[in-house]
Amino acid sequence: MDFLRKIFEETGKFVEKGKPLSWAYPVWEAADTIFFSTNKQTSKGPHIRDNMDIKRTMFFVVIALIPCYIFGAYNIGYLNALAMEIERGIVGNTIFGFTYVIPILIATFVAGAICELTFAIIRKHEVNEGFLVSCALIPLTMPPDVPLWQVFIGTSFGIIIGKEIFGGVGTNIFNPALTSRAFMYFAFPTKISGDKVWAVGPDGYSGATALAIPANPVEYDTASNLFSANTQFDYSTLNMFWGLIPGSIGETNKLLILLGAFFLIYCGIASWRIMVSSVLGLVFTALLFNLLNYLTVDGILQAGGFPNAMLTITPLQHILIGSFLFGTVFMATEPVTSSHTNTGRWIYGFLIGVLTVIIRSINPAYPEGVFLAILIMNMFAPLIDYYVVQANIKMRLARNV
Amino acid sequence: MQKITIKKGHNINISGLASREFSNAPTQKFVSISPQDFNYIKPKLLVKEGDQVSLGDALFFDKMNPEVKWPSIASGTISKIVYGERRAVLDIIIEIDEEKEKNIESDKQINLSSKDNVKEFIQKHNFWPFFTQRPFNKVVNPSDSPKCIVVSLADSSPLANDLSFSLAENKEYIISALSNLKKLTDGQLYVAVRGDNFSFLSDYDFINLIQVEGPHPSGNVGVILNRVNPLNQNEVVWTVQGSHLPVLGKLFSKGIIDFSLNICVGGPAVKPSYIKSRIGARFDLYKDFLLMENVRIISGNVLTGKQVDFEGFLGFYHSSFSVIEESFERPFIGWLHPGGKSKYSVFNAYLGSNKKSFDFTTLQNGSNRAFVPVDAWEKVFPMDIYINALARSIEANDIDEMEQLGIYECDEEDVALCSFVCPSKSDVGAIIRKGLDTIYFDK
Repeated sequence: MDFLRKIFEETGKFVEKGKPLSWAYPVWEAADTIFFSTNKQTSKGPHIRDNMDIKRTMFFVVIALIPCYIFGAYNIGYLNALAMEIERGIVGNTIFGFTYVIPILIATFVAGAICELTFAIIRKHEVNEGFLVSCALIPLTMPPDVPLWQVFIGTSFGIIIGKEIFGGVGTNIFNPALTSRAFMYFAFPTKISGDKVWAVGPDGYSGATALAIPANPVEYDTASNLFSANTQFDYSTLNMFWGLIPGSIGETNKLLILLGAFFLIYCGIASWRIMVSSVLGLVFTALLFNLLNYLTVDGILQAGGFPNAMLTITPLQHILIGSFLFGTVFMATEPVTSSHTNTGRWIYGFLIGVLTVIIRSINPAYPEGVFLAILIMNMFAPLIDYYVVQANIKMRLARNV
Repeated sequence: MQKITIKKGHNINISGLASREFSNAPTQKFVSISPQDFNYIKPKLLVKEGDQVSLGDALFFDKMNPEVKWPSIASGTISKIVYGERRAVLDIIIEIDEEKEKNIESDKQINLSSKDNVKEFIQKHNFWPFFTQRPFNKVVNPSDSPKCIVVSLADSSPLANDLSFSLAENKEYIISALSNLKKLTDGQLYVAVRGDNFSFLSDYDFINLIQVEGPHPSGNVGVILNRVNPLNQNEVVWTVQGSHLPVLGKLFSKGIIDFSLNICVGGPAVKPSYIKSRIGARFDLYKDFLLMENVRIISGNVLTGKQVDFEGFLGFYHSSFSVIEESFERPFIGWLHPGGKSKYSVFNAYLGSNKKSFDFTTLQNGSNRAFVPVDAWEKVFPMDIYINALARSIEANDIDEMEQLGIYECDEEDVALCSFVCPSKSDVGAIIRKGLDTIYFDK
């Protein structure tokens, strides 16, 4: 350790103020404090401080994502073996999957680091660890066979437009990882539009995702019947929970996402209010749509026309299909872009749930609505906070008679 | 008796809590009063180096409010006046003449029958600096009429001086002080206590006794006020330090000026003790209590206290010294540490942290970062104020919004825990003070 410490002390001399290389100080500082905790002292005010810092906060989110990575890799291998009709075993499947995941991960981190370091140098601030989380999230929202150049461009777009042009972490209004996901969704629709199956298979291999089945049925039926009629993949409720279905790399296994959620809530990093309320919003709207479907198809309001199979998806299926849980746990809870008040967090989360179902069910062009719902609510979060704070102001004014 | 329970907050489990017994220490030779301990004053000195002063003589006054004069806290010689940048007076150091102090006569003419009499009596002995007000946490303007007066005998800050022990022998003086404080206001006199401490106060009708429960900052005047009688715009509330009640009581009941104070010395880097001392005591007399060389000495508590050097003095409103180690350690990949004894966090992010009392050091444990609202401040801030929105309005210099969001109810000490837990290492207290300054100088 002394040797490493010495290297940093020696190289540190080159980036001191006034030296020709002083522009590189943020880069040096980032590396230095990754290896050795900062020895910055308290100056006044609280002379003692808690041991939690942003480095650890961000790193814990990354830890929560690691199981999703491992399962994601295994799932790629599993689905590939299924399509190729070969047997590879758990380890073989995982290794096969990692040969797809790791290049995406590298492309993301290279793009993210270049953007973050460039802005840190230009703006002369220390490197913020927030980009680690954004970069760890982006690959998990990608299909396994996405071209790396697209990942590179998408990540750069997300970090720069989603975050840096607003002033960096703490002042951004959109979740950078979702911004890059949305960018790729609209810029490269042939690869990740969400209706074609996302699995690595032989050439021309294709199929329908769970969400695409009720969105474009050949003949109207309830979603549950349509799922069980599909023979290509096992879209039973249980299997959708375990996640051996095609999808983005990180979102399929709901158990691991729930574990990540409990971990983040236990550590006090992510807001449980947002997670709970968005599930409530989703359940509420899904039930409302089930009722609407019941009334229009079976009930008194037999209006005619082509009935929408999306309205028959049960709340549980809504939770398990697609990226809802992943988005709720890891994206919606991003502290900067979500609501900053606890009352606001309830409203914010609830509306994410509502919007998710509306976008999914009403608009067949976007079978997956989670990322759009979260981005829209990112936009409205400051407005929600504004009204929550105004209520507090009114209370205080009323008291001051 | 009214009972309030504070849920949001945190008792920092710092080691070095003094046990309830007095230790021996040499008597003080020097004391100091520092104009820097008082917010928003412009001191004008009435004495110079070498002058003879006796207890209660005026040392300086506030140019903005000339009625308010500061008493000499000892009899003796002004041995040194320490100046800082731009000739700001940092310390007025008095060398104590014990003989002279013993022979001082008490004031026999005590007439405290009405509000004006009490005010005159306080004025006569230059005791106004003992009275501070909210908002702004400054010395009161004697012509104000406070809507209520609050005294907290339930200090909840880490390693706080336990007043139920250190004021134990001053029962009659406490009652005398409180009964005269009541005369200064037309409103209530709130006295906050913890548990069954000071139970004798419940016999007196003029005291509105409040039993507080819960973690720090439950004992703070601002937090108690927020619960029982929130401060509105254009209102003033007065307060005195609980530890100063005997000083006031002795003056009110017997006309004696006596600035003795039982202080406590605590913290991980010192042998914790209670000591019979006085206001403005110098630290170096207690050097034998130190456990290590490289320490930071803090006048007051570790959250809001003021760093002093080895020959530094106790702040006017402080009743304890806290001593912690100055650490320059740089543990390898410290942010990945699993936890255990060497880490302390209110987040559950370290295994087994904050179970046992912890040896805090001066390390900030992280670099300063842009603020990421992970709901940390709100967990330790018990008032019905959106502290995050308030901090933003202060940074935006929006006075109207600051007032609407309740800045008058806050003081630095109320938000000190927010800074303690903040993962971005923000100094919330400094932000609040900045907002108060903006408003104060705008008016």
